[in-house]
Amino acid sequence: MKKTLAAGAALCVALSGCGGGGPRGGGDSKLTGDKIVLGVLNDQSATYAQLSGKNSVEAVKMAIEDFKAKYGDKAVTKNITVESADHQNKPDVANTRASEMYDRLGVDAILDVPTSSAALKVADVAKAQKKLYFNISGATTDLTGKSCNKYTFHYAYDTAMLANGTGTAATQAGAKNWYIVYPDYAFGQDMEKSFKAAITKGGGTVVASDPTPFPNDNFSTFLLKAPTLNPKPDVLGTMQAGADLVNVVKQYNEFKLRDKGVGLAVGLMFLTDIHSLTPDALAGTTFTDAWYWNFDAENRAWADKFSARTGGQRPTFAHAANYSAAMQYLEAVQAAGTDDADAVVKQLEGKKVNDFFLRNGEFRAADHRVLHDAYLAKVKPGSEVKEPWDYEQIVKTIPAQDAFRAPSADCKL
Amino acid sequence: MGFLTQTFNGLVGGSFYALLALGLAVIFGMLRVVNFAHGAFYMLGAFGAYVLLAEAGISFWWALLAVPVVLGLLGILLERTLIRRLSALDPLYNFLLTFGLTLMLQDVVKSRYGSQSNPYGAPAGLRGTVDLGLFDFPAYRVFVFGVAVLLCVGVWWLLTRTRVGTVVRAATERPELTRALGIDVGRWIAPVFGFGVALAALAGVLAAPMRAVNPLMGADLIIGVFAVVVIGGLGSVFGSVAAGFGIGLLQAWSEAYGPGLLAQTLIFLVMALVLLFRPAGLFGREELPT
Amino acid sequence: MLRIEGLSAWHGEAQVLRDVDLFVERGEVVTLCGRNGAGKTTLLRCVMGLHGNQTGAVHLDGDDITARKVHQRARRGLGWVPDDRGAYATLTVAEHLTLPPVVGPAPWSLEQVHEAFPALYTRRASPATKLSGGEQQMLALARVLRMGATVLLCDEPTEGLSPLLVQQVGEILRRAKALGVTVLLVEQNIHFATTVADRHYLLAEGRIVGHFDNTDIHSREADLLAHLGI
Repeated sequence: MKKTLAAGAALCVALSGCGGGGPRGGGDSKLTGDKIVLGVLNDQSATYAQLSGKNSVEAVKMAIEDFKAKYGDKAVTKNITVESADHQNKPDVANTRASEMYDRLGVDAILDVPTSSAALKVADVAKAQKKLYFNISGATTDLTGKSCNKYTFHYAYDTAMLANGTGTAATQAGAKNWYIVYPDYAFGQDMEKSFKAAITKGGGTVVASDPTPFPNDNFSTFLLKAPTLNPKPDVLGTMQAGADLVNVVKQYNEFKLRDKGVGLAVGLMFLTDIHSLTPDALAGTTFTDAWYWNFDAENRAWADKFSARTGGQRPTFAHAANYSAAMQYLEAVQAAGTDDADAVVKQLEGKKVNDFFLRNGEFRAADHRVLHDAYLAKVKPGSEVKEPWDYEQIVKTIPAQDAFRAPSADCKL
Repeated sequence: MGFLTQTFNGLVGGSFYALLALGLAVIFGMLRVVNFAHGAFYMLGAFGAYVLLAEAGISFWWALLAVPVVLGLLGILLERTLIRRLSALDPLYNFLLTFGLTLMLQDVVKSRYGSQSNPYGAPAGLRGTVDLGLFDFPAYRVFVFGVAVLLCVGVWWLLTRTRVGTVVRAATERPELTRALGIDVGRWIAPVFGFGVALAALAGVLAAPMRAVNPLMGADLIIGVFAVVVIGGLGSVFGSVAAGFGIGLLQAWSEAYGPGLLAQTLIFLVMALVLLFRPAGLFGREELPT
Repeated sequence: MLRIEGLSAWHGEAQVLRDVDLFVERGEVVTLCGRNGAGKTTLLRCVMGLHGNQTGAVHLDGDDITARKVHQRARRGLGWVPDDRGAYATLTVAEHLTLPPVVGPAPWSLEQVHEAFPALYTRRASPATKLSGGEQQMLALARVLRMGATVLLCDEPTEGLSPLLVQQVGEILRRAKALGVTVLLVEQNIHFATTVADRHYLLAEGRIVGHFDNTDIHSREADLLAHLGI
């Protein structure tokens, strides 16, 4: 009986014109349209294109291939595709593209979305449309705070994780006095708040904290000011990202602040930033990484596969996290047997996992923060770099439970 | 001491505004074209330096000579092939053309070199700091300031003390009359455009060792430069240079001593005030009706 | 000599010159009279090549220069003295005199210019727009004489000048004429015109409506004044 039904349904799909009732493409598959569509929405042309961008689309494709290979004929469907779009780091564009993905392109889950303001907009769309959203490269804790919702998971990192790692660790290591410069928009303001809290927690003092224009190519005023502050800061904490960060570091070296006793800590840095600046420009700089490609054999194995498909570029944590999130989503759909968002969320909530990205991972049910180990890293000097992209020395693994903040009271799922 | 350092620092920052605004002013004067692609040429200048070093091992000093010349020639070609065709139409068309060119140039560079920033350091002799008597300052920045001042003075000399300068001023102010006095104004348009482009390219080469070299580096800067040009007076060479250095100073002072919000909006605040009270700019003249 | 044949010109849809024929012999001073809006300035601009929308032909010394560009016409010897006196704010008086190329066989030397216009020497370093109206007019004339232009196209050179200065302009024009320079003069001041001109053309609504020698001026005065609306 079941067999005939399935055959009939298949025929129905083939002829694509059965007038009768019943869900199209029914059978025993509970997938809308009998397919899964993943959507990668990120910056494909500007500041953040290199650290995630089109190569994250490639990472998601890798996940789909690996998933199909793993389950073969048992896979919930073989029809899994990727859509991608450039949101140009603009919240309004992100909003439009996200709606388009869910509505018109039949996307089941949106991935990535850098730039905090854009990331928050997409969370609103996901909530309204009741569709899944895994944010990878957005940093704001609001995604698991006042803007949290049932369908949004914050996957890779956030400002609290960065501040916990860099702020607390560096303060405990002796950098008591800080001078913070931060770009004056949502991400920078959030970073500054998180870092201030972490530094104070670690027993340090923020001597001064200055907002800078965004974007900005000239930080000389702030760099001249740094050594004249009283008390003199031990470390300059820069919360800039992308090209702005490159400018800060270049000019930090030009003004020889390290020689003047002012060290450098970077709030958020990707592997691609070190590549742009060269390790020598950053040698000894402390920062927090969510994942490093050359950390161990498992990471390296995935990185090799990734590099083979992307012209030799080594993956950033965003690339790895996009793969991991795609894979975890597909696994959840497989386990639930449906792409119904509520069912998938139910599968994921509270789930403890381990993959090459999520070490000691957990999909925290309270606020949908995805917990995993984080790493305190130092940039190697050029002389210690053994191969291209071999820029980081992992100083310390921060256990998953300590790496992130406690669930916020602002979040009501 | 801190104040003097910040003041000098402001002048260094203003150097880039001045150089870029100078090129824009010269071009606008002669062609009545607001060259939106100016920022893209600045970016190409910086990329030129980077590519020459990374792919051919050619040093900063040769790049400083070669890149402006090559891009200047490209500017001449561009004027001859594209911009000239629209010169009879509303200037808005050339504004759109150069805007389109900007997007194309950015994307060409992006597709070849990616959107990340590329490494480029100061030349070996200028990596240290120099003692300026009252304070120390990075040698390279002192050099940049020196070059910018020299160039501004050089252009001023060229415009006011040479035959070419007289012709360019005349053609800028009253092109029709100048033609009627037997001067082939058309012959000077492409070289002047090329010269303006070369200035932008030179500013780009100068920026490469101290700023992030990426395809969008000119896009953000050019908006500020437009504001500088409006403040100085559209087409006024002296006004552009003065406004360039002046805005650099104001920015440094406000960043160092003022509230954060002021520094970020200052340039546009000044522009708005100038537009309200002196619409032709601080040093500009009202256009003569034709 | 300058010869204009069948010249018509338009401002947008409106026709401002209708089939104008005129000629000026070498060394002759000829005025073009007419009311405001009769098309006098447009006619001079057409000769100079500055008016885009025109048909007809302009001959200079027997050559058809209709297809020539503006600067080429100047280099053939046409010297334009525009109605606004053509002063540059960004050029000094001295630069005004050296800006244009020498285009004729008998250019005035700087010494001759300074001798004829002493004010231009004393004010040589000033921007030309800082000169008085009369001085600016002298500068515009001096400039084309310095070029050695063989045909002067003067657009109301006496407008707004004091009687003394008007007289001075007349002297300059007579002196130029004595040296063989041809002058096409747009003029509303008939009394001035009669002191310098050999012949007069009368232009009304874009058409040549009258043409007579200066010697006939008294017999045609009524006709003339009627057309000028005086």
